[in-house]
Amino acid sequence: MTKMKWTGLILGLIGFIMPLIVTFPGLSLAGHFAMSIFLMAAVFWMFETIPIYSTSILVIFFQVILLSAEGFITYSGADYTPLPFSRFIATLADPIIILFLGGFVLADASVKYDFDKSMTRLLLSPFGSQSKFIILGLMLVTAVLSAFMSNTATTAMMITVILPIIARMEPGDPARIGIALSIPFAANIGGIATPIGTPPNAVVIAALNQQGVDVAFSSWMMYALPLAVVMLFVAWLVLLRLYPPAVKNVTLNLSGKLKTSRNAVILYVTFGLTVLLWVTEGLHGIRSSIVALMPVAVLTLTSAFDKQDIRKLPWEVLWLIAGGIALGISMKETGLAEWMVGAISWDQFGYLMLLSVFGIVALIMSNFLSNTVTASLLIPLAISLVTSGLLDGVAGMLMLGLVIALGSSFAMVLPISTPPNAIAVSTGMIQTKHMISAGLIIGLIGLVLILLLSVIYWPFII
Amino acid sequence: MEKKIYILVVEDEPEVLDSIVRDITEFEAFFPVEMADTAEEAREIIRSILDEENEIGLILCDHVLPGDNGVELLVEMQNSEETHHTRKVLITGQAGLQETVRAVNEADLKHYIAKPWKKGELISIVRELLTDYVLEFEPQPLRFMQVLDGERIADHIRTSGKLTDS
Repeated sequence: MTKMKWTGLILGLIGFIMPLIVTFPGLSLAGHFAMSIFLMAAVFWMFETIPIYSTSILVIFFQVILLSAEGFITYSGADYTPLPFSRFIATLADPIIILFLGGFVLADASVKYDFDKSMTRLLLSPFGSQSKFIILGLMLVTAVLSAFMSNTATTAMMITVILPIIARMEPGDPARIGIALSIPFAANIGGIATPIGTPPNAVVIAALNQQGVDVAFSSWMMYALPLAVVMLFVAWLVLLRLYPPAVKNVTLNLSGKLKTSRNAVILYVTFGLTVLLWVTEGLHGIRSSIVALMPVAVLTLTSAFDKQDIRKLPWEVLWLIAGGIALGISMKETGLAEWMVGAISWDQFGYLMLLSVFGIVALIMSNFLSNTVTASLLIPLAISLVTSGLLDGVAGMLMLGLVIALGSSFAMVLPISTPPNAIAVSTGMIQTKHMISAGLIIGLIGLVLILLLSVIYWPFII
Repeated sequence: MEKKIYILVVEDEPEVLDSIVRDITEFEAFFPVEMADTAEEAREIIRSILDEENEIGLILCDHVLPGDNGVELLVEMQNSEETHHTRKVLITGQAGLQETVRAVNEADLKHYIAKPWKKGELISIVRELLTDYVLEFEPQPLRFMQVLDGERIADHIRTSGKLTDS
């Protein structure tokens, strides 16, 4: 174990034990246990003492033992009625998890039948051969794909597209850096566009659902898609400005054929139909998580997606999200979240100030931590701010949730900020310093735009 | 500590050894290169690399050596569990048909490079074989992406699910 992990282990244990020894006035017994779990999880997630998904599993495990009606602690006071243990483990089948499962099956099946590559060829063809439009095209394709597939897999696929392009460019051409940066940035930005684009969206939406606030697939897109589009252009302009292409034209060599096997065609149709039903949720009202079962059913019953493929799904990401959802439940139900936000006198903050604080904290935190972890740690606090009456009801809650989800996705300063960033730096085409300067500019503009939307756009459509 | 993946070069003529090592310097920062001029010395180096819990990803081996010959060394490595997966390349001018056949059949020889070799050819063979090795055995292939076949590594990440959104 590295020094970092040891530090995390020791701090995590201290964090876990402290609330068991110290009594905090105004906090229930259950709140103390919830705090133990929260502190341990926060430290383990930050130091990655154990893999982040194991921390999530540990959260659920301790909740069942310490906070459930079937657990080892008998609660008699009136301040906490223990939840059934099934409530904690049911987070693994939360509607948003099922939505993600559907998304994962579609994404993995797309990779299996090279649908992602075929889409890339199709979508890139209208962008001609001028360098700057090729870069725009690459970014648009990346963003579109990453709105429905994992940002990481999309980046990896697009790297296979750009490496040959970069290899044909002059060694000194600044656009090499620009192109290598454009892919992870576009993937991070594209992830915000839909609920299934990236895991932090799931954590936020699940937390809102717990409060009785339903977020339809199409509503989320209405809130976030315009921002994604604008940010994509902003990122494009920033990269062109920082790394202007030295030559006017680049050649794009898009070879490959659309697969036409029976299974591939089944996938294309299922993919198209699912996405269509998702984005039109507002019209027909069928919940996106119910729609998500359709591709799972169709692709497995036709064997387009078989047992091996099911085993290869990124199950640990679902655990990670479930742990985040579960953490929110225990913090809210035990009164811990309310107690924590009660420690700061928020009423001195204006409404915009409050959104800014959460936006800035989310942006900073997720540059160093996993985006999902950032959202998991912040959303319970944000929700209690609203439920304790400090912010205005449903709209306030939704906007705070959006600020957290979008803010954590706009963190792209360092290679460790997101897996797409890590992949891009690993190509050796860019150095960390390139990422820092461009990522900082884009992150800050993103934050300002998020706050702007919370004043001039969201209040009018929520 | 992340484990290191070594390249082992076995060649008895100092000038030839130098020139092989010089040709593959671009890999050295990621794959430390060890040199031996006999099979016996190679065995010692292999032992010490393995004892430090590192691996040998690739061996470039001459055939005609004082003492045990190259093919013998390769067959021996193939039969040992710890070096079974090492990618094995003969780089020689004098291996006869019989020995070469033995290297292919018994040592799973991945490539036969005839002397004199071209630098570009040597580099591309080393790159492909190390990429094979890393994709099969390295949990984090990303850290070698910039010196190896980046497209293959990226595509592997796309299909293997080794790296996911977090």
